[in-house]
Amino acid sequence: MNARDFSPEVREALQRLILSLADTKRLLGIRYSDWLLGAPSIESGIATASMSQDEWGHARLLYAMLKDFGVDPVEVEHSRPPAEYCSASCLDEPFADWAAVVAGIVVVDGTLSLALEGFASGTYDAARRRIPKMLAEEAFHRDFGQAWMRRISEGSEEGRQLLAAAVESMLSDVVTCLLPGDDEAELLAGAGVTGQPGDARARLARRLAEPLAALGMVPAADLPLPGDWVASRRRPTGEPAADAVERARGDRNRALFVE
Amino acid sequence: MEEAVYDVFARKQRSEPLRHIGYVDATDDALARVYAWKTYDEENWFEMCVVRRSHIIPVNRIDGPYAARATGRLGRHAVEGR
Repeated sequence: MNARDFSPEVREALQRLILSLADTKRLLGIRYSDWLLGAPSIESGIATASMSQDEWGHARLLYAMLKDFGVDPVEVEHSRPPAEYCSASCLDEPFADWAAVVAGIVVVDGTLSLALEGFASGTYDAARRRIPKMLAEEAFHRDFGQAWMRRISEGSEEGRQLLAAAVESMLSDVVTCLLPGDDEAELLAGAGVTGQPGDARARLARRLAEPLAALGMVPAADLPLPGDWVASRRRPTGEPAADAVERARGDRNRALFVE
Repeated sequence: MEEAVYDVFARKQRSEPLRHIGYVDATDDALARVYAWKTYDEENWFEMCVVRRSHIIPVNRIDGPYAARATGRLGRHAVEGR
């Protein structure tokens, strides 16, 4: 189905879903890019650089879907202020250390992939066409994150504590933002655009069970929306740091854009 | 955790033989796969494989680049560009 085949309410919710996924990928790419240098080895830095580019490529493909809704993706990518971003709030600030990068790959990227899987198997044609290639690339992100999580979990107590704290700080936020259990998620599931939010959360819990068990953690099954939830942005109040949005928009290269 | 050298082999088409394209250092096989794919992603590879250098069995000489000093960064040789 194309965007015009859905009811106005579903179209609006679908547009917000796309923006939430695209903005989260764009911010995740920025956060990975902070670690192109400073990763624990040359190889892990190269992998992080490549994942950063993957995230931006995926974001671009998702933004391009907004054309179906009469929205100019160039305007969305390059002109919005931070207060209009719909990215998961755990990406508002940079990852503090390598343990947080690893947590971001496993938890944030992992949840994004799961949300995309549900979207790709739904009824919206553009998602069915474009997302499978993203998911193939994401398989390497998952392997990378889980291998590093094992490595840290089997290492020092300090490393385990840093990793557990990073996971704890991201998990409920990203699940709430990307797999919300609100009326809009039910509306999209009812229209066949995505799967049922409860099913997606259960699948995520199963997928994260093994990596989190190594840290003595259990993924939460029931996560209510926070009190400061902003439905129009699919996230709590707040916004990404201004410098990250300036980079995301390409403010310094504005005169050089080639579209 | 000690890193090992993994040699990377790839081919662009099914009809081509696998070719040695470089190497990565990794602590385990899972990371070696990711590092190889992400480091040598400039081509649209049909197939890529990694082999832990210490698993290569020398046949006619024991001082060749893939047989000698098979583990750790000391095992690196300048024959492959990165």
